[in-house]
Amino acid sequence: MATSVAAKVSGPAGINAGRAVRRYGWTVAVYVLFATLMVATLIVKPDFGAFEWNTLTLAALPLAFAAAAQTMVVLSGGIDLSVGPLMALANVLALRATVGHDLRYSVGVALLVLLEVTLAGALNGAIIVLTRVPDIVVTLAMSFVWAGLALLVLAKPTPGIPLDFQNLAQGSTFSPWVPNALLLLLVIPLVWIPLRRSRAGLAIYAVGSDRNAAFRSGVNLGLSRVLAYAVGGFFAACGGLALSMTTGVGSPLAGTYYTLSGVSAIVLGGVSLAGGRGGMLGPLAAAYILSLIPAVLIYLGIDPNYGQMIQGVLIVIVVMIGGIGTVLRRA
Amino acid sequence: MAALMVAAFALVACGNQSTGGGTTKYVVGVSNTLTGNGWREEMICSIKAQAKASGVVSKVIVANRTTDAAGQIADIRNLISSGANVIVINPSDRDALNAVIKQATDKGIVVVAVDQAVSEPTAYVVSNDQVAYGQLGADWLAKQLNGKGNIIEMRGINGVPADTDRHQGLTTALAQYPNIKVIKQTFTNWSLDPAAQQMKDIFSSGIQYDGIWTSGIDSTVVDQFQSSNKPFVPIVGADNNKFVQELATLKDKGLKGAAVTNPPPIGGAGLAVGLAVLQKTHSYDHVIHLTPQVWDNTTADGAAKLAQTYDSSLDPYYSVAFDVKPYTTYSKQDLISCAGPS
Amino acid sequence: MAAVPDDASVADSSALLEASGLIKSFGPVVALRGADLRVRGGEIHALMGANGAGKSTLVKILTGALTADGGTITLGGRPRTFHSTSEARRAGLICVYQDPSLLPDLTVLQNLKLTATPISLFRHYLAELGLEGFDLQSLPRELARPTLSLLDLARALAIEPQLLLLDEITASLPADLTVRVFNVARQLRAEGRSVIFISHRLAEVGALCDRATVLRDGKTVGVVEPAQGGEERIVKLMLGPVAEEVAAEAASPSAPATGAVSMEVRDLKAGMLSGVSFMLRFGEVLGVAALEGQGQQELFDCLAGVRRPESGQIVVGGKARVFRHPADAIRAGVVLIPADRLQALLRQRSVRENIALPLVNRFSRWGPINPRREKRRVESAVKRLQIDTRVQSEVRRLSGGNQQKVGIARWLASGFNTLLCFDPTRGIDIGTKRQIYGLVKELAANGSAVLLFTSELPEIQLACNRVIVLFGGELVDEMPASEADEQALLRAAHGLPSEADAEQQAPEGA
Repeated sequence: MATSVAAKVSGPAGINAGRAVRRYGWTVAVYVLFATLMVATLIVKPDFGAFEWNTLTLAALPLAFAAAAQTMVVLSGGIDLSVGPLMALANVLALRATVGHDLRYSVGVALLVLLEVTLAGALNGAIIVLTRVPDIVVTLAMSFVWAGLALLVLAKPTPGIPLDFQNLAQGSTFSPWVPNALLLLLVIPLVWIPLRRSRAGLAIYAVGSDRNAAFRSGVNLGLSRVLAYAVGGFFAACGGLALSMTTGVGSPLAGTYYTLSGVSAIVLGGVSLAGGRGGMLGPLAAAYILSLIPAVLIYLGIDPNYGQMIQGVLIVIVVMIGGIGTVLRRA
Repeated sequence: MAALMVAAFALVACGNQSTGGGTTKYVVGVSNTLTGNGWREEMICSIKAQAKASGVVSKVIVANRTTDAAGQIADIRNLISSGANVIVINPSDRDALNAVIKQATDKGIVVVAVDQAVSEPTAYVVSNDQVAYGQLGADWLAKQLNGKGNIIEMRGINGVPADTDRHQGLTTALAQYPNIKVIKQTFTNWSLDPAAQQMKDIFSSGIQYDGIWTSGIDSTVVDQFQSSNKPFVPIVGADNNKFVQELATLKDKGLKGAAVTNPPPIGGAGLAVGLAVLQKTHSYDHVIHLTPQVWDNTTADGAAKLAQTYDSSLDPYYSVAFDVKPYTTYSKQDLISCAGPS
Repeated sequence: MAAVPDDASVADSSALLEASGLIKSFGPVVALRGADLRVRGGEIHALMGANGAGKSTLVKILTGALTADGGTITLGGRPRTFHSTSEARRAGLICVYQDPSLLPDLTVLQNLKLTATPISLFRHYLAELGLEGFDLQSLPRELARPTLSLLDLARALAIEPQLLLLDEITASLPADLTVRVFNVARQLRAEGRSVIFISHRLAEVGALCDRATVLRDGKTVGVVEPAQGGEERIVKLMLGPVAEEVAAEAASPSAPATGAVSMEVRDLKAGMLSGVSFMLRFGEVLGVAALEGQGQQELFDCLAGVRRPESGQIVVGGKARVFRHPADAIRAGVVLIPADRLQALLRQRSVRENIALPLVNRFSRWGPINPRREKRRVESAVKRLQIDTRVQSEVRRLSGGNQQKVGIARWLASGFNTLLCFDPTRGIDIGTKRQIYGLVKELAANGSAVLLFTSELPEIQLACNRVIVLFGGELVDEMPASEADEQALLRAAHGLPSEADAEQQAPEGA
């Protein structure tokens, strides 16, 4: 009798294929969706070429970083409503410091900006941990602080990002099909993969998954959450710099649209808003999908205003399919 | 509101005669980044109407969504990909689009920035003189107040070229009147709701004001005065249909105001310029400015002009100007039907 | 076996862990007011106490999750204060809780990495617990709860602790897995290491533990050797002066009832449940005995309208019913008390609102609530159940026993005829437990029908008139409570024929 129960509770060890589908199904589905949309795009626009691919990547670049920033925070069980203003802050800081300088100086400045905005993100997290005020309240309040700070740094949109620096995103140094913007996106996996494999990364998932169990497992809750917000700040800074490179201007209002569209991207990308579940690959594809939709509508000559509706419908459908997956898992 | 407008047009729209003469061959792209705004809708309709009237346009592709400069760059690149020969843009930033505009003009595409300026020299700019717009309205207001008093400046979208230019004009005008003070500045984002809320806040805050300058969200401000039962102060707005009507009808109730013209058909004018440049039928300067007029309901001339231009067949939030002579060639019906070449 | 322990009052120099005079308060609430605990090397030591006696606070202090306001802890003769669970862990103190501490969204392997647990030792202990060849890539979210408990235990064992604390770990384990946990505990004892065992099940304490420290109101009130007939003494110490009468009240099993049929289940199939038929009468408490996962969950879900059966009939009041939604069942007078109290209660709302919630339907479909009438009914229900709290306090601040009472009170206030109790006393202290059983019996005596599943087999005799046994989704046995002692139930629940059946062909209880 004991063996029968044991067999039931431990389960056979040969069902890994099914489990992989369940566990990575959403991410795979998002990539399948992206591939399908690309095929549809090629049918609509058979001359889709390197220029169009570059357009798409340039459009996805800031959104992907915003989504990465939000993913970090949401995985840890929080939410960051200040992603957009943090992007604006990075954007205006970059302009202020790079005007009239050469590439090397600009890259140095960019690294400094990354550090500063990472600290700003960490400050978001520290306030949440220390005051125990809910994430959504603190980051909403901080979004006004960061937006105000951005306006203090730069009162209005101002040109002057060095052309060489702009070219880091706009050009195609190696091949027309490998635009520089695509290479910039590599920052996400370069930061993410080592983090995901480290204990710190596990701790971030743990905090978002079950705070009580994480605490009992010896995870430092406060530090893990601050770390998540800090890395979130880093990605937001990348997003702000991406906007500097693609527009060549610094604007205190840059990033305004990215707080919410970043949330759309992570929901589409399979990150659970309840925390602890999801990864970085899904949101990356989602950023491409959300950027591809308005492009296809323009190719078709349809009012891109419908794009928002289509995005909404797409998210609802994907989330519903994800929900069905969860039900199947339970059954 | 958009649905109502569509319904209204559907009623008004009659059989349109095709003006097609010669071969229609050009593709026109339009990029606009502010949606849900009557002025911008009318601007887009004027481009479609002009495209149809020109007889040389086969298709108008409209990239119209609320987005930022980065999004507009993507839209313009997609318009380039779609084979546009002329791209008419209402720019969201004076400088951020330069690189993509340069890419377009390098490919032989004529790019016309309308309503607001861009700094890229290869682009054509066809716009109202926005500096003059700010200057003329502010000057009128200062004179109404006899050079003394507090005014509220209700601006548009922070950082957008037209807003910056108008603010500059206003500042220049008020430099002549040292006793006029801008006591409060708001950004309406050229949307009705924020403007209404800001007026409520101003009423409840007890700020002492003697006049209001608006960047075009004007009738909303008048409505707030009425619904809150506050005595009118002089108001500067634009030549929007409802505001024009209010200036004419509420004069008896003490509303003094001036409408500064800012015609949305600047979009159609921009396309006309673009097509002429493309076809080499006419050469234009790269920067074309319209000089705004001031229609003032305290003078006989102004009042007559206001009474004459109000048009009950137009949407209340549309501008009363339906064409920009000598550039546009379409009829008022064309504008109202908002149909491009089929 | 370990040596017979000395009298506990003698100061013990060979203590592995010695905590004395521990004090801890949370704002105005005092949780510990001088708790003492001495655990020897090579001892299984029970920590007993009613809910709210301070057991969990003591455990949290010992494992570094909380820091005491006063008192001393020595480990192996050296005074220690732990500021974090990892610090206590490094010193060889680790606790396994009733609800497993594995992160649901990390794989088991990642969970081990998170706590830097040696994998090979983990596998070794897992095998000892009967889970050899377990796939470490599994996600805890997808595993059954008993498995999670065993994984959690193996993870704790893998760091080879000096002192292992088991906090109610058996509460969610079926009987056969409990045996494995006991074997592991005995093995630790044999190796000279110590175990602190916390359980509400006196029988387990009696079977396993060398000594028991009893807490009441945050103080140590006695140290007892449960093996030497100490169980009754433990109960007395735990409950204080009132213990005896309560215990006596719930003692004798009741005779089967002969009232009208409240509910008839005909060939019900759903998931694990494969064709179960039985009758439930007014005036009786019908017990359901089963090991973990034998179809009882499906049965209760179907009867309460939480789940739709695949086939079969549920007849209530002479009519076959289809419950599409719990509201349908409630309308037919069938209500459910779930094991997880917080599943049924709104934890952040007041006791009053929770009790009044089902009333809303009755008083005013959607209109305004009549506050006076609502108040009257709520207060009478609170009084009847002796819920010792003010009706305005938030439900999440109540003890588990009081929460369960609120769950019952809401149905008392709104009215019902058939009560489904699914493991209503899980994790509840013995005093409250007996109160709840007394209440259930009283409800039946007043004419209601009660169907009661409990995971603690010895409890069935306390509360029920009659028992049905589920095994493998089928109803395998039925007996009157007088025959349903632990041994008989255990045999039946494992699918074995009862001794009586085997030897005498005795007739089944009616």
